[in-house]
Amino acid sequence: MAMDTGARARTDRDEVFLEYTKSICPVCKTVVDAEVNVRSGRVIMRKRCADHGQFEALVYSDADLYMAQQRCNKPGTLPLEFQTEVRDGCPLDCGMCPDHKQHACLGIIEVNTACNLDCPICFADSGHQPDGFSLTVAQVAVMLDAFVAAEGEPEVVQFSGGEPSIHPQIITFMEMAKERGIRTVMLNTNGIRLARDSRFVAELARIGTHVYMQFDGFDLQTHLAIRGKDLREDKQRALDNCAEHGVTVTLVGAVERGVNEHELGAIVRHGVAHPAVQSVVFQPVTHTGRHRVFDPLERLTNACVMRLLTEQLPEWFRVSDFTPVPCCFPTCRSMCYALTDGDSFIPFTRLVDIEEYLDYVSNRVIPDLAVREALERMFSSSATPGAEGALLACEDCGIDLPAAFGDITKNVFTTVVQDFQDAYTLNVRQLMKCCVAQITPDGRLIPFCAYNTVGYREQVRAELSGSSVPTVVPNAEQLQSILAPGPHGSMTSGAAGPGTRNATNVGRRLGSP
Amino acid sequence: MTTDAAHVKACCATAYSSEAARFLLGDRFHPGGAALTSRLVRALRVGPGDEIVDVACGPGASALQAAHETGCAVIGVDLAVAGVAAAIHAAASTGMDDRVRFVVGDAEALPLADASVDGALCECALCTFPDKPGATAELARVLRPGARLALADITARPDRLPAELDGLGAWIACIADARPLDELADLVTHAGFVIESVERQDAALGAMIERVQSRLDAARMLGATIGGLGSRVDDAIAIARAASRAVANGDLGYGILIASRP
Repeated sequence: MAMDTGARARTDRDEVFLEYTKSICPVCKTVVDAEVNVRSGRVIMRKRCADHGQFEALVYSDADLYMAQQRCNKPGTLPLEFQTEVRDGCPLDCGMCPDHKQHACLGIIEVNTACNLDCPICFADSGHQPDGFSLTVAQVAVMLDAFVAAEGEPEVVQFSGGEPSIHPQIITFMEMAKERGIRTVMLNTNGIRLARDSRFVAELARIGTHVYMQFDGFDLQTHLAIRGKDLREDKQRALDNCAEHGVTVTLVGAVERGVNEHELGAIVRHGVAHPAVQSVVFQPVTHTGRHRVFDPLERLTNACVMRLLTEQLPEWFRVSDFTPVPCCFPTCRSMCYALTDGDSFIPFTRLVDIEEYLDYVSNRVIPDLAVREALERMFSSSATPGAEGALLACEDCGIDLPAAFGDITKNVFTTVVQDFQDAYTLNVRQLMKCCVAQITPDGRLIPFCAYNTVGYREQVRAELSGSSVPTVVPNAEQLQSILAPGPHGSMTSGAAGPGTRNATNVGRRLGSP
Repeated sequence: MTTDAAHVKACCATAYSSEAARFLLGDRFHPGGAALTSRLVRALRVGPGDEIVDVACGPGASALQAAHETGCAVIGVDLAVAGVAAAIHAAASTGMDDRVRFVVGDAEALPLADASVDGALCECALCTFPDKPGATAELARVLRPGARLALADITARPDRLPAELDGLGAWIACIADARPLDELADLVTHAGFVIESVERQDAALGAMIERVQSRLDAARMLGATIGGLGSRVDDAIAIARAASRAVANGDLGYGILIASRP
């Protein structure tokens, strides 16, 4: 029979194939192959689990920006020592294994699981719970020593939780970090104790702690949706206490679609106006641990946050004012340094072509390496307020602010946008260069996004608390039929088991069975 | 000409090596940054074994870039002693001083032999040379037959420029004596070159002026006095504003021109 070939036209795929990588099944956490494609100007990851089917998630909402930022990818720096061996491959050998591409700019120690809040959104699954853990001085000493052994002179350690300010030994922990020569000690807190206990704030000032304070907005609905409580007065009192004692603060906004997207500009303005605040960090809510039901294809990304800022503060921001951070994967984190007197706001990108210095891909001579080095210290995951000093102190620098400018640290304000990966978006390509490490009591440095998604968090919590911790599964719309609440509020799935091995393109040669 | 030629040349050279110029312009004294320089350098079609001249090289960023990207040798010429010293230092610190050298010299009397170089780069400088036919004749003299000239310059319709853009300040800002792009092409043709391509790059100038404005705003915000600019920040802001408007109107722009010496 003759075929009617004329009637069949070939069609094109509706997407541009960008990357072939590895990820995990969000349900059973089995490692699977994954593709990253561009569709309608958006960057989307797709993967398939033999047991749980296909998953798609939005990785970056602006494909142009995603491509352009790849240039700002700095060759990593080796740590002094690795803690694990390469056995199963990324992401199962954390951490860090010798295949990891970057040392840890920032180490995180979660000192407890207890919290004085029970927020509806909490990646750490913390709260008023009977079955958590609380680290001892001996455990924290081991963790800090492991960090020092890996880094030599670690740049930043952040104490987190739970709520670290309610740990009875938190002051001792911070002193131990300082004694070990760690340059910057941060406290990641909801601010309640800082609002109500000014002696505690005085202690932070004595130690020189920088406060990293959750601050999601000003609307009552925002507070109820993200924190489950109206904390507006506490937040203001905490900031005022910090200002009074000379403690510097970074405001950290968790941004969730349909909740507080409209408040980003107001948060920046509030930060610029408050004497204690030197920077703001916006983090699209990480859909791990406890969170609202979400659609992985409509989640917020860094590009969304930057666009929202330019819409809400058009007189201050353009998307081009944000520079990708070259130490981690450049699409993970973008930063904007600006000079401000509270009224005018001049991003550093308007003064110097920063990305020209941070282009590591073009074979181009860098006009001034001292400028690049100064910029690398500023645009880093370990950058803390004052990092711009390196640039301003640099005699040959591109900004070349004359000496008469003197100490302008008080006029510098930093805005950071940071996207953490969840079990839907996890890409080992980014993970292998992650420079934010969760330090565990057995002395491992586990990349933060692996810790939250692959199952390490559940393992460590089970080991430290002695109670079993089920596998956390994202609270995604498409998974609702198989999800059930776990003991700490996050979702889990009865279907979670060992999972069928993903056998594509691994460990065989052509023709072998 | 309203301003004495020698005075203008000396003033330009001094101004561009001053702290104020470094502050306002950074280390790239021309629109388009490294990307546009890269295009100009590629147009010269030179490689290892060739030597090019960078006329009015400033602190040497483009000369070093040309040497790095093509493998050619470069001789940078500038009238400012301080600029040449900075360029020599930059070449040494990047380990390129075996191929890239810098000398103090006048674009209107280049310290080079006839037909001695394989390419010439001249970025954003011709507009500041009082004797433009003399300078283009010099470029033609030092290039060997077949060699190319890559020229980038401020362009202007002089009769349309506002009053703020007249006078020495604007001259130093490359504006007061800038010419229309077709006049630049005529100058180059009269010097004996054959034009290969001409292209407008006005957006690059707009971006550069915006950067200067931001730096001036920063200086004013922080109440700083900038060496060499003294208390004239407000004058400079007025010039920058007028220039920005002129770019928007199409009366001021930037152009690149590639030509070869027969």
